[in-house]
Amino acid sequence: MSILGGGIFKGMAVTLRNFVGSYFYKERLTTNDYEWRPDGALPQSIGDYPKEEGEQLSDTTTVNHYSRNFPMLLHDTGEPMDTIRCVACQICERECPPQCIYIEKSTEKIENADGKPQFYPAKFDIDVSVCMSCQICVEVCPFDAIVMNSQFELSTPDRFGGLLVRRDDLLKSNDYYHKIHPQEAAARDQKMADDKAAKVAKKKAAAEKAKAAAEAKAASAAEAKASEDKTEDAE
Amino acid sequence: MSFELIKDILIATVPLLVIFPSLFAFTTWMERKALARIQNRIGPNKTGIPCTRIGLFGLGQPAADGIKMIFKEDIVPRGADKLFHLLAPILALIPAMLILCFLPLEFPWGKFMSAPVQAFLLDSAVIFFFAISGLATLAIFMAGWASRNKYSLLGGMRAVAQMVSYEIPLVLSAVVVVMMVGSLNAKEIADAQTGFNWFVFTPWGLAAFVIFFIAALAETNRSPFDLPEAESEIIAGYFTEYSGFKFALFFLGEYIAMFAISGLAVTLFLGAGDGPFLTAAPWLSVMWFIGKIFGLIAVMIWLRGTLPRLRVDQLMAFAWKFLLPLSIFNILLAGLTHFALDARVAATSDAILYSIHASHTHSDAANHDHPKPVAGQKEAVMGALHYTDKDWMGAMKWFSKAALKGHAQSRSILGWGFGIWAMSLIVLYVMAKGLDNVSRSTAKPREYLYAE
Amino acid sequence: MTQEITFWVLAVIAVLGALVAVRRRNLIHGVFALMIFFAALSGLFLLLLAEFIAAVQILVYIGAVGILLLFAIMLTERVTGDDARDITSRGSFWGWAAALAVLVFLLLPAIQSADLAQTTQPHNPSVKALGQQMMDPYVITLEVLALLLTAALIGAVAASQGGEKTKEDIDDA
Repeated sequence: MSILGGGIFKGMAVTLRNFVGSYFYKERLTTNDYEWRPDGALPQSIGDYPKEEGEQLSDTTTVNHYSRNFPMLLHDTGEPMDTIRCVACQICERECPPQCIYIEKSTEKIENADGKPQFYPAKFDIDVSVCMSCQICVEVCPFDAIVMNSQFELSTPDRFGGLLVRRDDLLKSNDYYHKIHPQEAAARDQKMADDKAAKVAKKKAAAEKAKAAAEAKAASAAEAKASEDKTEDAE
Repeated sequence: MSFELIKDILIATVPLLVIFPSLFAFTTWMERKALARIQNRIGPNKTGIPCTRIGLFGLGQPAADGIKMIFKEDIVPRGADKLFHLLAPILALIPAMLILCFLPLEFPWGKFMSAPVQAFLLDSAVIFFFAISGLATLAIFMAGWASRNKYSLLGGMRAVAQMVSYEIPLVLSAVVVVMMVGSLNAKEIADAQTGFNWFVFTPWGLAAFVIFFIAALAETNRSPFDLPEAESEIIAGYFTEYSGFKFALFFLGEYIAMFAISGLAVTLFLGAGDGPFLTAAPWLSVMWFIGKIFGLIAVMIWLRGTLPRLRVDQLMAFAWKFLLPLSIFNILLAGLTHFALDARVAATSDAILYSIHASHTHSDAANHDHPKPVAGQKEAVMGALHYTDKDWMGAMKWFSKAALKGHAQSRSILGWGFGIWAMSLIVLYVMAKGLDNVSRSTAKPREYLYAE
Repeated sequence: MTQEITFWVLAVIAVLGALVAVRRRNLIHGVFALMIFFAALSGLFLLLLAEFIAAVQILVYIGAVGILLLFAIMLTERVTGDDARDITSRGSFWGWAAALAVLVFLLLPAIQSADLAQTTQPHNPSVKALGQQMMDPYVITLEVLALLLTAALIGAVAASQGGEKTKEDIDDA
């Protein structure tokens, strides 16, 4: 037997605590009340936010670890275009529900971070005015090349060009990813390493298997030949 | 028509037309700020004095909203009924403004009137209040139908069903007060509560106030009963197809209706303009009245920040299976307890008065046989006098003083009073609890196939 | 003077509202015109100092009957409600004749016999007096009416429940 209307009062206590607490504890406020900047200069990246003294650039500026807004492209340590992970396979473009991704595949291959020649996106545009932040492109990407950014201050006076984010603006380093989403980035790196190891092991196994199969095939071919001979004899 | 009459009418109406819309502007700001703080946000804080960076806590936000609303394009859907689409927001505002007249707000400049023309002096002010506030339903229906949009129509249907259902407990809970005062005149109801004899302090008054407040939330389509404009289900309900100034009119009408119905709650249960320091400064009465309205509005905002929206079946079940039986039971209980209490206490206080009278006549007749005055008799007589004057708080004060001095009859009165008071509170609570158990909607939430 | 102007304005609104309500093909427009008629009528009651009747006129006729009509139309017609329908049907002549007959044989004698020139002092219009009348001499009438309405309400609910359940109920019994 609970008190009639007790749940309502409990909820009202919670909201009252929020109401009062938000005046006294700054860390409760999820958004930053940033200073006015010089004319026209909107903060462009997370580093642009004013930091209070002694405060590290951390998730206070980006809501928290799990915040996600629009996708970005990842590259490994090094020059962005030399270490880009995306191979322009266009899976994300096909899967994107609102179809906000536009990819043009390159004609020639360049070497990627592993030194393997791969295609790369000659164009990779995301229209963030259309993107619905569903994260499906991240789920489907086989190369862990596209992940969610948490940058949220995207206002621009140009509502068409300004909201179409180009490849070079989308490219962010893996270090940046580690900075904004440390746990997720670590998990993703771990997974990539595991995948790589598994792939190597699989390749090895496949090679052995192929070898075995070839031997078996040779043996069975010989046997078949023999049985054929037998039937001929019987006739 | 004489000049005097026109002057009187202007004095009676213009303050209402000025004060409440400006309070509306302030309330929108208050609501946005409060909701933001409840959600650990800051809320509007940049819109202050134009062309400067003085924020003024965002107090300029209502003005900015108003300017934006005026200059926005007014879109009328091609298939819409043009006339009704135009009339609906106007019709939504008019009854809301009209019912403000029935609140017993006595402004200090009322003494410049040559004749009392205020509508709250009508003999049937409370009935008029309910009659005219019911017209808002029509406006909403009109808006929903005229937009020729399925979401508008759904919202309109929901609004009409909800408002028709919740009007019944609303009126029935007000009936209790009307029954006790014996008048539908708002002024008389307000006067009956002076000296902190607020009806909310009685058990039936408390129950009626809670029912009234809940039903008022539903009447004004406030959260958690904001199904007609449930944005996650039907976009914006009946004002989906409204933009610009027509939308602003709807918004204004809704808030004015909120003020009006809170004002009625204050009139009926919270003592209208009653409060401390009134003898020193009678003009404070209006401030108390508006302050109480703002208190109720603050609770409404608080509830909006706290509670999730009800389902349609829960909404209807709550109105018909919980509020309606409870309010009918409350009327019954109010009659019974009042009757029992009044019969008992009136008899005892009559006895007190009679005894003092008898002792006086007796002492006049035979001086030698002067009876010893009972301790606390003076206070008890004061209490009895207050009681016959229907000033229950004053009576209680004097009776308890007498009881402290050991006056037996006062003790019995207080015992009966508190006993019945506590008993009826318990009975009401048990009744409400039982109804709650019975009336819970049996519909199970849908099982989500893809929940993972 | 003021009263006469008010009366004529209200009367014109009432008659126009009633005419529109009858002649309008769009049913929903018709219902709203009918409500304008009711509102004007309530204003006329106010002019006669019958404030309680005026309030009840709004409460019952606009608030309840009007909404009921709207719901009935919404539930039976297509939602748009702008179905063109022919009101001037074949029997219209007899309708006009009946209306005229009522006017000539019932209303005109009544109007002529009534002494309109003599202004009567209004009775005590207070709600309290009305309530005492209802609770004292007419209490039986009131209670019987209330019982009748409640019975009708319950009957409507029972009728709208559908026949499916009754068989099971009989089986259970």
